Amino acid sequence: MLADFLLIAMNGLVWAMAIFLVASGLTLVFGILHILNFSHGGFVMIGAYLAYSIMNLGSGAVGIVAFLGLALACAVTVGAMGFVIDRVVFKRLKDVDDSYSLIATYAILLLSEGAVKTIWGPNFLSVYPPKGLGGAVFLGDFIMPAYALFVIGAGIAVFLVLDFWLQRTASGKIMKSVALDPWMASLLGININLIFTVAVVAGFALAGLAGGVLAPNQSLSPMMGGTYIIQAFGVIIVGGIGNVRGAFLAAILLGLIDAFGTVYVPSLPGVFFFVAVAVIILFRPQGLLSGVR
Amino acid sequence: MDNNTTSFGFKATPLIALALCFAAFATVPFWAEKGLVFLAGILMLQIVFALSFNLIFGLTGLVSFGQAAFFAAGAYASAWLSSYAPDLPFVLTLAFGGLVGALLSVLIGMVALHRASGIYFAILTLALGQLIYTLIGKSTALGREDGLIGITRPNLNFGLFEIDLSRGDDYYYLIFVASAGMIVSLWWVWHGTLGRTLSAIRQEPERIRFLGVNVRRYREYAFVISGTVTALAGALLAPWSQIITPMIAHWSYSALPILFCLLGGSTRFWGPAVGAIVFAGLEHSTRNMFGMAELIVGGALLFVVLAMPGGILGTIALLRQKILSPAEGRPSDE
Repeated sequence: MLADFLLIAMNGLVWAMAIFLVASGLTLVFGILHILNFSHGGFVMIGAYLAYSIMNLGSGAVGIVAFLGLALACAVTVGAMGFVIDRVVFKRLKDVDDSYSLIATYAILLLSEGAVKTIWGPNFLSVYPPKGLGGAVFLGDFIMPAYALFVIGAGIAVFLVLDFWLQRTASGKIMKSVALDPWMASLLGININLIFTVAVVAGFALAGLAGGVLAPNQSLSPMMGGTYIIQAFGVIIVGGIGNVRGAFLAAILLGLIDAFGTVYVPSLPGVFFFVAVAVIILFRPQGLLSGVR
Repeated sequence: MDNNTTSFGFKATPLIALALCFAAFATVPFWAEKGLVFLAGILMLQIVFALSFNLIFGLTGLVSFGQAAFFAAGAYASAWLSSYAPDLPFVLTLAFGGLVGALLSVLIGMVALHRASGIYFAILTLALGQLIYTLIGKSTALGREDGLIGITRPNLNFGLFEIDLSRGDDYYYLIFVASAGMIVSLWWVWHGTLGRTLSAIRQEPERIRFLGVNVRRYREYAFVISGTVTALAGALLAPWSQIITPMIAHWSYSALPILFCLLGGSTRFWGPAVGAIVFAGLEHSTRNMFGMAELIVGGALLFVVLAMPGGILGTIALLRQKILSPAEGRPSDE
């Protein structure tokens, strides 16, 4: 019984950390630029496909260290794409309505789906988990795939690094000050345009990293970006848009709700996530934690 | 005098374009092959879908990302009723689809307009729409992920005579007449007192609130009218395509009317119709190029959002203004 309970909770946590990996960059970009980036999921997808291509250059499965290096390579590549998109699109969206930029970035999502379809084709592709993480971990009568524990670890690591950066370092604090009041920050001699660019590149790099780390988590298809972005939207809106800690909390909360809901009402998988999002927003429209943190 | 006739000529152009469109849709079965007739029927329903959506988007200024839920509600409700009680008059089946859409939009409107605004409203309607999508895909009575198939085209019984809509192009003309009727009603709402109030709310919600208008109530009116008409368009779709799948409730289907509105110009009544027609043309010409559809549609949408904020109609109006009065320079703020 307890083992069952733990297993469900762990499954919820795996989902939660996977979605947090996606949502972290999304909420960071919104916090600084007030652009809710619909295309974020598309770039997670591009990151995952890149991981697939890089892996197939070699012999398939790689070791853990090589896998992490590969995920970093995806992060750098997608971050570079983010730089281009910042110059071409985001620079022009600064003074328009939030919902308008939502639609502009939806167009970029369509573009990334089209690009994936033309480059990699419509078929489902699969990526092997890194060597050493293919098996399962036994803790008494409690069994978890090793890769699932790796996803949880990656989610927590990204959260700790981001949180440390934003709360404890000078550059992170400058970032927060620009988010709160860009005009005042510019008067204090901060190059706010540079900060905006850094935020976008960091956000996209997080998308690429998420794509690389999560590539073995599911089969790759051109629909993957859309699926991820909807769940990430739910997580960041419940957490309070722009709030990294909120997104972390919301991911765990929604992951557990959905995991337990699906186990106890198996005929309706996936419904509890949306019900929870609607109910929480109804009572806390600003999300669990508000403001930029 | 000369000047007057020119400006009259320009004023008449939209009317002529409208009449041409009307004539084109009315005569499609006479000059086009069957596949194209089918697409024209779908296109008319998509125009109604987009025009009804623009009541909340362009007129009231709310970005809803869950409009497909109403379209699907209408389609599924009427299709389900027609298979459950095949002897029921078709008008009742249609009305049932509209009613379910209306109830659903009251519910979603109450939840989403309760406190959420701006981007929160967009995401909340998106989540609620996905909830409907998931529920439809999991419900056995609605065919789960496979949808409902073999939906029959009904008989229209007028007492004195009967029209069998399964014959020839009869159902096409039913869609034509029904769409025209719904478009006229939407035009009337858009240009009437309600429409003007909604437009004022979009521009200055705070000021209108001070004038004693219940802003939320009016937004709810717009939301429900829009949802009901959308549901009716969905209810008309079911017997036409004879198969419906949960895809028509998916969020990517909710993005369609937004696309149509922005492409054509959301501040004008006919904008979404222009957008839908142009989009259908784009889609039809790229249908055999895999992955190209997304690239072209995405590229076009991005271009419109960044470079043509008024959409196609807005840009035409701007160009016309420049041609008519090149000396005046910039148009005034009005």
